[in-house]
Order: sequence, then C-alpha cells, then structure tokens
Amino acid sequence: MIETPRDPHPPVVAARPVPTSPQSGEARPLPAAHEERVRVLSVLVEDGANTLSKISGLIRRRGFHVRSISVGPSRQAGRSRMTLTVDAGHAEVDQVLKQLERLVEVIEIEDVTGEEVHSRELVVAKVKASQVAGLVDRGAKVLNTGADGTTVEFAGEGTDVGDFINELMQHGVLDVARSGPVVLRRSA
Amino acid sequence: MILEALEREGVEFIFGYPGGANLPIYQHLPEHPKLKHILVRHEQGAAHMADGYARACGKPGVVFATSGPGALNLVTGLCTAYMDSVPMIAITGQVNSTQVGRDAFQESDVIGATSSVTKHSYLVTSIDQLPRVIHEAFHIATTGRPGPVLIDICKDVQQADAERVTPERLEIPGYQPNGHVNLDRAREAAQALAGAERPVILAGHGVLLSRAERELFKFAEKAAAPVGTTLLGIGAFPVNHPLSLHMTGFMGTGWNLKAVQNADVLMMVGMRVDDRVTARLADFAPKVKTFIHVDIDGSEMGKNVRPHIELVADARNALEAMTPHVGELQAGRGQWLAQIDAWREEHPLKYTHSNGHLQPQDVLIDMYRRCRNEAIVVADVGQNQIWAALWWNYDRPGLFLNSGGSGTMGFALPAAIGAKFGRPEKTVWCVAGEGGFVMTAQELSVAVEHQLDVKIVLLNNFSLGMVRQFQDDFYGGVRSQVDLTHMPDFVKLADAYGLPAVRVDKLEDVGPAMDAAERTKGPFLIDFHIDPEANVYPIVPLGKSLNDFWEAPDK
Repeated sequence: MIETPRDPHPPVVAARPVPTSPQSGEARPLPAAHEERVRVLSVLVEDGANTLSKISGLIRRRGFHVRSISVGPSRQAGRSRMTLTVDAGHAEVDQVLKQLERLVEVIEIEDVTGEEVHSRELVVAKVKASQVAGLVDRGAKVLNTGADGTTVEFAGEGTDVGDFINELMQHGVLDVARSGPVVLRRSA
Repeated sequence: MILEALEREGVEFIFGYPGGANLPIYQHLPEHPKLKHILVRHEQGAAHMADGYARACGKPGVVFATSGPGALNLVTGLCTAYMDSVPMIAITGQVNSTQVGRDAFQESDVIGATSSVTKHSYLVTSIDQLPRVIHEAFHIATTGRPGPVLIDICKDVQQADAERVTPERLEIPGYQPNGHVNLDRAREAAQALAGAERPVILAGHGVLLSRAERELFKFAEKAAAPVGTTLLGIGAFPVNHPLSLHMTGFMGTGWNLKAVQNADVLMMVGMRVDDRVTARLADFAPKVKTFIHVDIDGSEMGKNVRPHIELVADARNALEAMTPHVGELQAGRGQWLAQIDAWREEHPLKYTHSNGHLQPQDVLIDMYRRCRNEAIVVADVGQNQIWAALWWNYDRPGLFLNSGGSGTMGFALPAAIGAKFGRPEKTVWCVAGEGGFVMTAQELSVAVEHQLDVKIVLLNNFSLGMVRQFQDDFYGGVRSQVDLTHMPDFVKLADAYGLPAVRVDKLEDVGPAMDAAERTKGPFLIDFHIDPEANVYPIVPLGKSLNDFWEAPDK
C-alpha cells in the first residue's frame, strides 16, 4: 500500500508503536533531583469532586513532581488525610508547601520531611508457592493461596519495602502492587 | 436566587453574554433592575470589562457566560485578573447536573480549564450549595490577595425552586488570609531600612490594592528612602517627588535601575519580584545586604528572591507598623540621594524627535497634560503600554490600569469601558496599539451603546512594535510576521461602529485632535500614525542583568 502523506482518514488500527517508556516492573528513573528537594507532606483536605484535580493540577503547573500519593478518610467527617511525596523540581523547596497551602481545599498542611514519623508502605504480591516460606520469615503475611500462586502482603518503612520487593524480583514474582507511604508523627 | 444573592452582595454591574446554559438566569434578570447588565460582544470582553471595573473602583467585577465556548472565552480574561490579583466573580452556566460528563451540547470542563487561572472555583450541582457558595466566592475574591473566583452552575440548579436562604455564617477552614503584622518583624524591617546607607523601596500592585499610598508616602519621607514602583505599582508614589525612582524592571528608568543595583537595603512591598522586575535573577540588586519583603501572600516569600526579613501582611498595616520605628532625620542619607539625582540627570527618559515622524511620546505627553492628575489611563500591551507607563506624570495616586502579569493584548478597550462604568465621573483614556486593539475592537459597540466617555488613543505603527523591536535587537534583526500594513481604516471602522474618529500623522495636529476628543461626549477615537521604527527605551536585553540597560540612542 502506498502511504499518502496527508491521509484525512488514516486507518483505524495503527501499527503498534515501539515502546519507549520503561516496561512495567523495570526500575523507573526518578526525576533528576537531590533527595533534599523531595518533601513529605501530611495534608488534611476537604473532600470534594475537585480536590484531587486541584492538588495535582497545582503540582504540575508549578513544575513539581509527585513521587507518591496516598489518600484516605481522616478522623473528621468530610475531610481526608493525604500523604504526598513531592519533588520541588526547579522551584525553591519551600514552595511546595506554600503553594499547596494557598488552595482553599487544603485545611492543614505539615512538612514532615526528616521528622520523627511512622512511615508505612504496603506491598501486595502474588508469588509461587515455593517462595512463601522465605517471605513469611521476613515478616510477610499470607492473604490467600490458590492454584495459580500465593498472595502475600508486607508493610514497613520505605527501605524495608524496597528490600522486600528486590527479593521478590530476584526469585520471580507473578504480580505486585505497592502503595505510597502514609505517615503519622511519632508521639513524644 | 442567584440574582438575589448578587444584590445582597452589593453588585451593581454584570458584564455578560447569554446562552443555552444560563437562560434561566437571564429569564429573571429583568425582575432585578438594580442589577445593570452590560451585554458584551464577546465573553473575553466581559471578563476584561469586569477586570477594568474592579481595578478602577475596587469592587469585584461580575461576569456571566454560558457553558462551553462561552465559559472558555473567559479564560484569557480570568488569567489576566488572576495574574494581577484583581477581584472578580465569574458565573458560568453548566449543562444539567445529570448530563455532566456525557459530552452534552456545549458542555466543557470549565473547572478543569480554569483551575490554574482562578483563586478558587466551584461546580454547583445542587441548589442547597448555592447561597453558601455565592457568599463564600465574594469573600474569597475580595479578601487577602484578591483574585477571580468562578462559579459553574448547572442549568437545573439555576431553575430549581428554593426558599430564599440567608447565607449562613462564613466558615472556610482552608482559607484564612492573615493581614496582621508581626510587630517585632516590622520594627526590625524599619530599623534595617532606616539604618541603611543606600536604601531603596520598591512598591507593587499590593500597595494600591490595600490603598496604602498614603502610608507608603509617610514611611518613605520619614525614612528618606527613594521609592520605585513596578509596572502595576504605578501610581503608588508621586512620580514627580524628589524621592521617586519611577518605574523599575527591565524597561524601567535608568536612575531606578542604578539605584536598585547599588542599594544596600531593598524593601519590596506588595509585589511578586517577577522576572520582569529582576531581569537576570543572579545579578539582581547584587549589593543588597538585607532584602525585606512585605506581601500578603506568604508563598511570594522566597519564591524568586529570598528575603532576610519577611513580613506576610497587608501592605498598609505593615507600613503603618513600620513608620514609628524610623528615626526622624536620616543622617548621611544626603550622599545617596545626591547620587540618585546625578543618575537621574545622567540617564533621563528621552526619545528621538527629529526624523519627521510623529513620536508616540509626543502624543502621550499631550494626553497626560490633559489628564491633570485626574483621568484614568488604561493601556494595552506592548510598546504602547511601556510608553504610557514611562511618561506617566501624576504627582498624586492615580489610576493607571494595564495587564502587567499576563500581558494580555486586547485588554485596554474593554477594561477602559469597565473602568468608566466603575468611575463614571472620570474621563477614561484608552491607549492601545493597533495590533491589540483589533483583538477586542468589537466592544466599541458597547462604548457607543452606552455613550461612554472613553477616548481611544491608537498608537498605530503598522506593526507588532514590541515584537519587531525584540526581533531587531535580540533575534538577529529578522523581521518575521510583524507587519500589520493590512488593517482596517480605523476612521471608517469607528464610523461603522458609530463613533467619531480622526487620523493624525503630524505633530501639529495632535493638539486639535485631542481637543476634539475632549469636547466630544461619548467615545472618540484618534488613529495616530506614529513612527514605525519607534522603540521602547530603556530596555535590558533579554537574559542580561539590570546593569546592562540600553538607553535611547541620541539621534
């Protein structure tokens, strides 16, 4: 078939493009930045249809990058607690908090970077039955065992979760999902 | 219910355009004669009119538009108001709440499209939300650092029956603007400035927004500190005062830039310290030992320049709190002020006037002579804007309106119309280039319909002058897509719209044309054919420091 350079009605099914982005499972390069440019923020927000899009829109518009985001209901009705890990990009690092604070949807915001906090992340993974024992030794919990594999969960600090996932990768994993951190300040 | 709520908020004018999704509001509009609706010819015009209205009289401007294209036509106007912190309420119609998300006719995600250019926005899908939302919107738009707030109201909500509800007490936990001053910080700031050898104060739009001109004047005189303003701060300090440095920034006056670049303490009040003020950031005010920043928006602290002393406060409160801590006579200040006087002599504003062409400055000097510190001057964007700013001559706080942050071409005519509605006792002069003028020229109909005293000074150089100047000076002299030879005959265009107009291309005809404009009640247009090669000076070449400003060539 001769390709017309300016076909007003191109074929519906296009040739599959060669993937250029990393395959899932591969380590994803983080935005080039120093660690001190990454802030961990605990944010109390008003529940609403626009809240998440306002926050993510602001982060994009100011040139910041989201590394992780976790949201869940807070103890107050109509308000949610968000834990955001944000790279300040080319901006001054304190801008991340200051800009988010301006949003009417943001009720309270606290920068807990480097503070004494409990920070937990969760991994849920499906593995071959032969590996379960070793993972349980590391603290994983079995959620379900089926013909196609065993599902385990593991929660911990970010580095522990990272180590756990590295181990999974070495021994083969059928499927894995990982959350971002949720943090709470340590009581004195 | 919407209209009643607007009456309760004290709204007098609405600039709007009806359409399918706001028909229920318009159906009831005639029942509210206190709300004067100005039918615009394009929604962008409505937004700029509301903006000009708000800048001129200080009350929030109100805009109506329908869903989809109507609302999206507001985006540029919202951004203009947002960048310059202008209070505005935009009420847009949205499709029925049950149709949202179904790609209904004239549906668009207005909240999504406007979030980054509004201070806040609401999508109203139920009548219960409406009284609270409208009341909150006015509060948010007008308090703290002002800005536009958009309310997108589904059509079924507009026509829902509801009891008239008095708005409940305001409770917005996520919005607590703080205008109070940290008094220790204020003392520290005042003492730093008073103790400086070479102090400079720069004043921005925040000074005008908080009506702090008098406080600034007192403070500056007592501290014997020279004062420059940003483009949007023009009018915050009398320009003929011995302490005036006039406009700062990359097209600011030479003596201002010299002062900023040699200051040891720099106080920046009610301003964002953006790139147009600093030029190359690394070389901005390099001799400063103490930066003091006063702004009501805490996020401005350290956004571009990290202050040593920061005061997150309303400019007026801050200046009031600082003044008592400045000693009466500032010894040793004489040398610095004499140095500034010398720079003022050495780097005066000047322009070419010997090449036979009509110069824009000739026109503006004549215009300002007639303004007598009284008239409102609204400038468009481009060379006309900077000329109008630099030749501003008011010696008391006056109104110079322009789109500074957003730089929106087409702003001047609708904003001048809005300003006239806001301050009907004032003469309003609209200064524009021909490029920007035709972007919103359809609003001439509004000026004619309401017989508004808006005098239009068209500085017509047959090109996109500022872009042409940048191409000549900074982009290898390649003149690319800046030729505007093919434009309407503006006298005929004015005639078609129904307003008188004259064309002027000689210096001796400037005065008589201006006389005619002044004599005429209602709108008047003068098409000034100015020197097509006229440039803006001083100018700092792009990417250079404020030290590197170019001055007008002597020829």
